[in-house]
Amino acid sequence: MFDFIKYKYVSITFSTILIAVGFGVTFGKYGGFATSLDFDGGLRAVVEFPENVERKNLEEYFSTKNLEAVLVLMDKDKNDYQIDIGLGSVDQIKQLYIERKGKDSIEAKQASAIDALIGLLQEDFKLEKKKILSANQVGSVVGAELTSTGVSLLALTLFFIMIYLSFRFQFKFALGAILALIHDLVITIAFIGFFQIKPSVPIIAALLTLLGYSINDTIVVFDRIRENAGNLRDTFSQVINLSINQTLSRTFNTSVATLISVVAIIIGGAVELYDFAYVLTFGIILGTFSSVFIAAPLVDIYDTLSKRWKRS
Amino acid sequence: MKSVQWIFVPILVVASSLTLLYPNFAERELELAVRKEFKQLPEETRKDILSNFAERWKTDYNPKGDWQIEPDPNIFPEQDYYLVKGRFITSAKINQLSQENQELILEPKNKLRPTLVEEYIFGGRPLAIRLGLDLQGGMRVVLKGDFDDYTSKLKDSYTKEIEELTRKKADTNLSEKERKEAQDKLKEIESYFELTPSRKLAELEKAKLIIDNRLTNQNLTEPQVRIQKDQDSIEVSLPGVSNSSQILDIIRNTETVEYRLREPSDSNANSRGTYHDAIELEEMTLMNQGKKEETEIVKFQNIVKQKLGKDEQDRFLAAMEKKYNIPEKYKLYVKWSRANNPKASLLPREFVVLERAISLDGKDMRNARESYDQNRLSYYVSFSLTSQGAEKFFDITSKNVGRQLAIVWGDKVISDPVIRSPIAGGNAQIDGEFGQKEATDLANVISEGALPIPLNVLEMRFIGPTLGIESIEVGLKAVLLGFALVIIFMLIIYRLSGLVADIALLVNVIVLMALLSLMGFTLTLPGFAGIILTVGMAVDANVIIYERIKEELAAGKHVSAAVAQGFENAFWTIMDSNVTTLISGILMIKLGNGPIKGFAITLCWGIITSLFTSLFLSRMIMDLLVNKFGVRKLQIGFKKLESKNV
Repeated sequence: MFDFIKYKYVSITFSTILIAVGFGVTFGKYGGFATSLDFDGGLRAVVEFPENVERKNLEEYFSTKNLEAVLVLMDKDKNDYQIDIGLGSVDQIKQLYIERKGKDSIEAKQASAIDALIGLLQEDFKLEKKKILSANQVGSVVGAELTSTGVSLLALTLFFIMIYLSFRFQFKFALGAILALIHDLVITIAFIGFFQIKPSVPIIAALLTLLGYSINDTIVVFDRIRENAGNLRDTFSQVINLSINQTLSRTFNTSVATLISVVAIIIGGAVELYDFAYVLTFGIILGTFSSVFIAAPLVDIYDTLSKRWKRS
Repeated sequence: MKSVQWIFVPILVVASSLTLLYPNFAERELELAVRKEFKQLPEETRKDILSNFAERWKTDYNPKGDWQIEPDPNIFPEQDYYLVKGRFITSAKINQLSQENQELILEPKNKLRPTLVEEYIFGGRPLAIRLGLDLQGGMRVVLKGDFDDYTSKLKDSYTKEIEELTRKKADTNLSEKERKEAQDKLKEIESYFELTPSRKLAELEKAKLIIDNRLTNQNLTEPQVRIQKDQDSIEVSLPGVSNSSQILDIIRNTETVEYRLREPSDSNANSRGTYHDAIELEEMTLMNQGKKEETEIVKFQNIVKQKLGKDEQDRFLAAMEKKYNIPEKYKLYVKWSRANNPKASLLPREFVVLERAISLDGKDMRNARESYDQNRLSYYVSFSLTSQGAEKFFDITSKNVGRQLAIVWGDKVISDPVIRSPIAGGNAQIDGEFGQKEATDLANVISEGALPIPLNVLEMRFIGPTLGIESIEVGLKAVLLGFALVIIFMLIIYRLSGLVADIALLVNVIVLMALLSLMGFTLTLPGFAGIILTVGMAVDANVIIYERIKEELAAGKHVSAAVAQGFENAFWTIMDSNVTTLISGILMIKLGNGPIKGFAITLCWGIITSLFTSLFLSRMIMDLLVNKFGVRKLQIGFKKLESKNV
């Protein structure tokens, strides 16, 4: 039987380091999370390019200009491309336009980012005005929806889970479960920042899946602790330890089964779902880790502390 | 759970679920309607269109040859449709086919024939699970209501009343009471122009209804319109449609029909109004000097011909209003008509000055129809008026005999007949120089009502366009592969019990999908994530149960006692973990929107179905195995566990 409780501070320190490194790299190296059209808004243009312009020409064009653009072929016959440019590259576009028009050009300085983009494309590809089929500043749809509801949603969810768990178990379990949940979310968000994964609808889905999975996982361990707690011969720490060990094969098997289906997405080559699968793979491993190494040990720490307070 | 008879419950559930799901995987028939007008096209054009259609049928629409089409796309069908047979004919595909072959295929008449299940059990209601835009591709437009424009229009319609009331308020001849009343009424009217969020919402609701109607007339398969309250905007999702500006125009069309009086003419017999005459004089002078190109009307025609947009036209008119000092009370319009030849195009021909106050608007009209006038060889639109409208119309026509009453459609004056006598009875008609299409459009605008608020495109995005569909297929395959691997994994680890778990898992997914299709749920990528989580939780429940049984067996219990005890012990664990997840799911449904909601709905139903399958179905099968079929050895895990006291 492995003594999980003995190493509780090691695992908590490990998590803290993960969080620190994740956010450190996110903000220190990249200056924040990756931008995406869904979340932050940006520029979008649909342009009919001359026949001889192919995707690789366009990719080359944007990469030499150091612009991050996502290209979608809209209409094969007409050679229409949709160009998405995230907020991160907007300043760069303006800069390029001002350089092109000359530093003193007031016209260029006053031009909006979308005008600048159109101006550059028109000149570089010798396009007539009517070949720019549409161009506009795109609002942040998912981002706006999410920031407005996300935080309150999360707080309320945690609150209700806490009530249920306090009712079914004890307050200390509720607290442990919720801290473990927050722990999982924070680390996963740090992971998203560390690898500069673009926030999108599938990523939100992954985070929500993770939330459900992680609660589930933690409760199973807690349930066993509650069941074993009737045995008065053992100390609380020993009960926790025993329970974790008893549920270990279940934890392992379930994690493997879930991981299999997620990894299948990556192996199966579903490019559109890669980010979803990466985040979920990471999240499942993390959720398993936290239900064993974080949630129950936190309950133990709280238990020890509260006993000490009572004594003093 | 001793009684075996209960086994009929899950069997019934699975059978009815499979029946519900049948339309999803059954071979279906689609009637791809062909335009009647197609036959009238010149032979050469028809050939081109058909061969193009046949070519694309092979390369783009049906590259793998999964579907059959009758007759061959090269041949014009004898019935008025092509019959397409096959599985998984999505709305995206139908829309793509119709949109890209508009000369050949008549969208509104396409018909996906109902399967037997839909026909006989649900009276033709389609049952197939709808796929969201992110799974089948399409166009998503967010339109923002322009409430500034809305209020200015609203003010126009109250101009007369405000004028009247202001006069009354200042009129010292009237009694104190009457003046007070006028003042109150004025205040009330002013309050109409203040838009509270709830009023904005009400206008958006109206707009949504009208857009819904318009889209239904386009017979796009599964369009979705929803309001985004916090942004004062309306989101329209059109599966399978890629950049169709035509549809966007139809949605955004804010054209209204209004009656406005022309400025009164002065005593001069030939006069058509002070400002009109002033403009006319200037134009004539230029014409006489041979400077036709410099006349305002030709300049305006050029703006129209060059398609510079409505903003440009509005700027031009505003500048003219300024130039001729047209007072606030009036507004400059352009009358559109054809040159003598009825086939000539409709163009701006004359400037007219109308009262800013709206005499009668679209709200007062209904039941419009276009008809053909044999004598005049042109179309007209007849309509009836609401009782209130009929009253107003009678009032206006009786007070203004001899004046011209202009009919403004959108921003075009289309006719301005002279009022000869008061019109009572509530029926009227509009004569203009209409072609059939114009008459139909006008009738539609009157009948459907105009959009209450002008809408600007806030954003437009295309999701998983034509080429993306393939990658989505790959995604679905990957998810199915994962599912299959989980099933194999369970079999390897838990052998016979694993098989039970797998059955439970399959039933779980089948029942869940059936429930979703019964609810008319639209499945999106987050929804899919919810299903993946459900599968995970269902597996988990079974694993918890088996691990418990294993412990009981290890403790030396009899197989049948171990199974019973295992389920017993696992029950609350499974309940607790599922209920907690259910709580978060319900909150997400209540509070979340868009992607979060889609995820939560599948998750919540998934929890319910997985509780049923793991706690009820699995248990029943295990009981049967152990108690009826006398299975004595349950192999759970790699160690063979045998109960000691057999």
